[in-house]
Amino acid sequence: MWEIRRFPVLWLLPALLPVALMTLYPVAYALWTSLHSVMLLFPGEPFVGLDNYARVIQSNYFQDALANSLAFTAAAAPLVVVLGTLMALFLRRRFFGVQVVRSIVLLPWVLPGAISAVLWIWVFHPSFGVLNGLLRNLHLIEGSIGWLTSPRLAFVSVVVAHVWTQIPFTVVLVMAALAAINPETLEAAAIDCKSSWRRFWYVIFPEIKAMIVVLIVYNALTAFTSYDLVYAMTGGGPGTATTLLSFQIWRESFSMYDFGAGSAVAFIVVLISAVLILAITRALPSDLFGSE
Amino acid sequence: MKRRTVLAAATLLAGSFMAQPSQAQDVTLEFVVWNYSLETIQDNIRQFEAANPGIKVNLTDYTWPDYQDSLILRIRGNTPTDVVYGGQDWLPAWGSAGFIAPLEDVAPKEEIEALAADIAGFARTDVTYDGKIYGLPYYADTISFIYNKKILADAGIPVPTTWEEVTAAAEKLKAGGMDKPIVYEYNQELPNFYDAFVAQAYGRGAELFDTELNPLFADPGNGAYQQLTWLADAWSKGLVQAETHESKIIPAMNTGQHAFTIVYTYVLAALNNVADQPRAGEFALAPMPGATHSTLGFAKSYVITRQAADDPERAAAAWKLVNFMAGKPYTVAKRWAVEKGLGFGQLPLFQDQDVIEAWGKWADVKELGAQAERARAGTYTEFSSVWSAYFRPLLAKAMVGEANVEQTMKDGAERWNQLKEQFASR
Repeated sequence: MWEIRRFPVLWLLPALLPVALMTLYPVAYALWTSLHSVMLLFPGEPFVGLDNYARVIQSNYFQDALANSLAFTAAAAPLVVVLGTLMALFLRRRFFGVQVVRSIVLLPWVLPGAISAVLWIWVFHPSFGVLNGLLRNLHLIEGSIGWLTSPRLAFVSVVVAHVWTQIPFTVVLVMAALAAINPETLEAAAIDCKSSWRRFWYVIFPEIKAMIVVLIVYNALTAFTSYDLVYAMTGGGPGTATTLLSFQIWRESFSMYDFGAGSAVAFIVVLISAVLILAITRALPSDLFGSE
Repeated sequence: MKRRTVLAAATLLAGSFMAQPSQAQDVTLEFVVWNYSLETIQDNIRQFEAANPGIKVNLTDYTWPDYQDSLILRIRGNTPTDVVYGGQDWLPAWGSAGFIAPLEDVAPKEEIEALAADIAGFARTDVTYDGKIYGLPYYADTISFIYNKKILADAGIPVPTTWEEVTAAAEKLKAGGMDKPIVYEYNQELPNFYDAFVAQAYGRGAELFDTELNPLFADPGNGAYQQLTWLADAWSKGLVQAETHESKIIPAMNTGQHAFTIVYTYVLAALNNVADQPRAGEFALAPMPGATHSTLGFAKSYVITRQAADDPERAAAAWKLVNFMAGKPYTVAKRWAVEKGLGFGQLPLFQDQDVIEAWGKWADVKELGAQAERARAGTYTEFSSVWSAYFRPLLAKAMVGEANVEQTMKDGAERWNQLKEQFASR
C-alpha cells in the first residue's frame, strides 16, 4: 500500500508543477533578462552581466524613483492605517444609517485603480476640478492650482488618492479584529476608563495590535509597489515627481523598450521590499506577538 | 467492374473539388490602428471590402499613448498583423528590426514612385527609411501656434512673432486678469510632447542634430536650448496651464481663459467647430514664433508588416488596402481632410475645391499652405523613439523648474550618444 507519508513530494507534484511553471519560470526568465541587453528595437540579446543593474542604479531616474517610493511609502502606509483604524472605530458604533455609511466607506475598494485615478483627476483638474471649484467658491483662491502639474502638489495628490483607495481594506480588517475582542473586556473598560483615548490605548489597541502590524506591513508593500494609480493620474510626472519604482519598471520596459534594465529594476524592488519588511518587523516592539 | 467505376467516379469528384479555384474570401487582413475616429476607419473598411470582394479586414485598435508598445509586443509575439498605422519617429526602428517591409517588396516599384511623386517633401522623408519607401501617408500635418483672435484684439495685442513677444503678450494678459494665458500639452508619456518642443525650436531656426547625427542642442546658443529656457521662464512666471491631452486643450481654450496654445494643426478644426464649441471662430494659427517661423511637419502612414509581405496572398491584399486608404484618387485622405480637418501628404489635394472649402471654415488655407511649405521633417533614427522616451521626462522636469536647462540638455545629448554607440555595436 502506498502511503502519503512515504511519497510526499510525489503527491505534491500536481500542485508544485503549476506553481513552479507560473512562478519560478518567469522569475528565472526575468533574472536571465536582467543579465542581458534585451532591447526590443535593437537586434541581438548579448550577455552584459551586471551592467543593467549598474546603469539603472546610477541613473537619475532610478534615484528619483527610489526616493519617491520611500517617501510615498512613509507617507501613505501610516496614513492608511491611522485613518482606517479611526474609521473602523467610528463604524463600530450604532447610529442611524450606519449600514449606508459603511457601504460608502467601502466603495473605493470595489473600484479598479484606473477608475479611481479618473475620479481623482477630475477632483484635482486645474480648470474643471472639484477641488479648485470649491476653493474658488469659498473665495480662497482666484485662479487655479495645478494640483497634478506642480511637482510637490502632484506628489501629495497621488498620496491622497492612494490613501483613499486603500482605506476600505484596512477598515474591514480592523473591524474584524475589533469584533473579536471579548465584549466583557470592553464593558469593563467602559466602566474603568472615562477617557476614550485611554480606553483605546490601554484596552483596545493591545487586542488589535497584531492586526495593525500586519496592516502596516501590507500597506507599506502596497505603497512601495503602487503602479496603476500613478500611471493613470500623472504618468509619473511632472518630470519624475511621482515616478515610483514600479512605474520605472514599466518605463524602462515599455517606454524605452529596454527589458534588461526593466528586469534589473524589478529585482532591485524585490530586494528593497524584503529589506523593508524586515526593517518594519524588527522596528516593532518584541512583545507584539506575545501570546504566541 | 462496378467497384472500379465507383473508384473512378470518386477520383473524378475529388479531382474536380481540388481543381476549383481558391475562393477569394480566403484572405483576412489584420489591420491595427490607434483609436482616433474609429467609426470613420470602420466605414472606410466597409467601402474597401465592398470594392474588393474576397478580402475581409479585421480592425484592432490601441490607445495612442500605448500604441507603439502594444504593436511591438504584438509583432514580437508573432500575432498575425498585416497593415498598421506607422509614425515617422518609429519607422526607422521598425524597418531596422524587420517588423515592416518596404512597399517595393509588395507592389510594382513604378506604381510606388508615381504615388511618392505626389507626396510633400517632409512627409516623403517621414515614410522613407534607408532609401526605401515604407508607407503612404494616412495624414501629414504640422504643429501650429494657435491664438485667440478676439482676446488679442480686445486687449490691443498684436499677434506675436517671436517667443519674447509671446511672453510680453501673456504677461499683459495676466496683468489684465487672465490667470494662465498659455495652455500647453504637458504629457511626457506622449511622443508629441517632444514633437511640440522640436516645432518651437524649429521656429527659432534650430538644428538639433548635425548631418552625422551628433546632438547640437546642448549648446546654449542652440535654438532648442533657448526654447527650453523660454518654457521654464514662462512656467516660473505662472503663464502656463498644463493639460495632459489635446482633447482637454479644446474645452480649456473654449473657456476664454487662455489665449495661446501649441498643438497639432488639426486641433484648430476642433477648436473652430461651430457645432460644439462656444468660441468657434475665435481661433487662428500664426506662424510659429521665432526667426524662421519654421515648424515640425510629420506624416503618419499606412505600412505593411514583414509577415504580410512574406505571404504573397496577404501581401497583395495588404497593398490593395494601403492603396485604397492612401492611393489615388486620394478619396480616403480627402475624407479625413474634409470631415476631420486632418492634414495630408498628397499634394494634389491642396488644389481640391472640396478641401479648400471645408478647411476655409476653420482656417486660413493660404496660411496653412505657407506653413506646410516652411515645415521641416524631424530627425529620426533607429533609436530615436527610445531616446525620446528617455528625454521627455527630462524636458518635463526642466519646464517646471525641477531641473536646470544646462543639465537637461547635457543629459539628453549624453544618452543620445550612448544609444548611437550601442546601436552601432549591435
